[in-house]
Amino acid sequence: MIRTLQEVLERVIARFYTQITTYLPPLIVAVAILVVAFLFAKFCQWLLTRLFKGAGFDRFLRETGISSVVDDSGHLHAVSIAASCVFWLVFAGGVLSALSVFDTKLTTQFVETAVFLFPKVVTAGAIVLAGIWLGRYFGRAILVWAHNEAIPHARRIAAGVRALVVCIAIVAASDTLGFAPNVFLAAFIIVVGGAALAASLAVGLGGRQTVQRFMEEDTRHATEPEEPLWRHL
Amino acid sequence: MAKIVIPDSAHAALNELRTADIVVGIPSYNNARTIGHVVQAAHAGLLKYFPQFTAVIVNSDGGSSDGTRDVVLSASMQDARLLMLSTPVKPVNRLSVPYHGIPGKGSAFRLIFQIASNLGAKACAVVDSDLRSITPEWIDLLLRPVVHAEYDFVAPYYHRHKYDGTITNSIVYPLTRALYGHRLRQPIGGDFGVSQRLLRRYLERDDWETDVARYGIDIWMTTVAVAEGFRVCQSFLGAKLHDAKDPGSDLSAMLQQVVGSVFTLMQEYEPAWSLISGSQDIDLFGFRYDVGLDPIEVNLERMLVNFRRGCEELKEVWQLALSPETLEQIDLLAAATASPATFHIEDELWVRLIFEFACAHHKRRLDRGTLLRSLTPLYIGRVASFVIETRDLTAPEVDQRVENLCLTFEALKPRLVAQWKGSAGQAPRTAPEAAIPQHVAAQKELEV
Repeated sequence: MIRTLQEVLERVIARFYTQITTYLPPLIVAVAILVVAFLFAKFCQWLLTRLFKGAGFDRFLRETGISSVVDDSGHLHAVSIAASCVFWLVFAGGVLSALSVFDTKLTTQFVETAVFLFPKVVTAGAIVLAGIWLGRYFGRAILVWAHNEAIPHARRIAAGVRALVVCIAIVAASDTLGFAPNVFLAAFIIVVGGAALAASLAVGLGGRQTVQRFMEEDTRHATEPEEPLWRHL
Repeated sequence: MAKIVIPDSAHAALNELRTADIVVGIPSYNNARTIGHVVQAAHAGLLKYFPQFTAVIVNSDGGSSDGTRDVVLSASMQDARLLMLSTPVKPVNRLSVPYHGIPGKGSAFRLIFQIASNLGAKACAVVDSDLRSITPEWIDLLLRPVVHAEYDFVAPYYHRHKYDGTITNSIVYPLTRALYGHRLRQPIGGDFGVSQRLLRRYLERDDWETDVARYGIDIWMTTVAVAEGFRVCQSFLGAKLHDAKDPGSDLSAMLQQVVGSVFTLMQEYEPAWSLISGSQDIDLFGFRYDVGLDPIEVNLERMLVNFRRGCEELKEVWQLALSPETLEQIDLLAAATASPATFHIEDELWVRLIFEFACAHHKRRLDRGTLLRSLTPLYIGRVASFVIETRDLTAPEVDQRVENLCLTFEALKPRLVAQWKGSAGQAPRTAPEAAIPQHVAAQKELEV
């Protein structure tokens, strides 16, 4: 009995020893890589901040109006954001390097997937950001145009345009990532088609008289010039 | 810069003429009804006041389909009825040329200037083709200061109805005056006299294909002349009676082009205007007299509805351009539209608003076209306020109101300079505002 227990204990110790001798050195190396990566990332962040702040990059962005294109308040700290991005990029590289030290099937697969997906994620992110920006741009332009043309519900029209542009961007991003592209595309088509159908039905059933009045008004306007508010110049 | 193309038909005529001392340009687009009178007045003016000069009347047409060009070439001079004190020794030639490129008044002017330059003209005058009140004296008043007194730019000075020229009265005149320190009363009048030197300066610039090609041309010509130190003066032309603007023309686009040109030129001439304070009178030629003016009907209710709708709908756009204090005051005004009799946009608020728009344009806080178009309901609100305020006022009293607005623009200019240079936080908010009454009083004293 005692012998059996001794054998079990020896096996456990041997397995523990094997595991320690197998995984401890890579773990130590991984930790070292993480520490070095963290320090290097911090250094890069500091360097970038110093370089661009010294060159007055934020001021340049503010004065050229580029910062307000991205951030409505016009107080975008582009240098801090870029430096943070570089920090996380370098640190993420360090994490992947540290994981690859273990050289197991799981870690290898994880690293490969991350490396493979990275450009796609960046592209998809850029598409969504561009979509948001474009949506805002078109939304504002449509809002002002609709107001000046005295079109009713200008804000709703602008919001619709904004949402539509963002939806298109999301569909494009999901297609880039290969993430359920058919589902997004189908959803998009259903939403746009549904909206068009709903609008047609609404106009056909509820707004027939309004449309008729509008068209009559339009014809009348075409024949009789509208009286100007005043002479401007 | 792409040089403007002079059509072949005009080349042949120019080769025949070779030189001219004076060019009178008339831009047109479907003005067959009125242009005959303008051509006759110009022709008579040239014969009567400049008989010893070779002169050409150039019509630059934007592709009229109503026979405008035929009218220009066929409008007859009733010589027999015109009393000439001196016998004309040189003939007045006429030329009607279609211009190409961006459709607009600026493109038409560009062709006129190019032809005048090719002919080596000493002076060039441009007059609108829809004028009903033009007389031969206008040609003398626009050209004589250039030909005989070495002025480079002659701006018009008219009597206009109190509700006519509202962009001029509420934005362009006060702003241009505060910026460049010259009291040019009609900076976008449309009828000008220009010297050869200034003509060449206009032609060598490379911004012809911007808003300058359209309604921005008038303020562009005026601003270049005053900001670059050319000799400027004004000529009193009497009343400006012209056809109502095309009802289909878009007010918002017009406002965008004119105000956009002012703001864009502010950027170029920042060193010239940022150091100027106050303003000075400009030489005024011509005998001033009172004239009867066409009444102008305004639809106050529509204006107030437009302003209120703008406040409800465009706040998200204005937030990017205007300060929270200004926005707050606009909100209060939107509520005040309920009682039109008391609706009033104060001068200070209006000036602050224009300055903040100028800075937002400069700093590109949002797309410039959208920003400028979003000014339309605010401008309409301001006009409505002006109409309510001046309803019972006489012309001199209305002039005094415009003068007070100008003085407010001048008094608040340090704030504009601070905001423009990016130190919004340090913008002197109270000092100049507190100084407005003193500034106005001091100016009035000087004038007395």
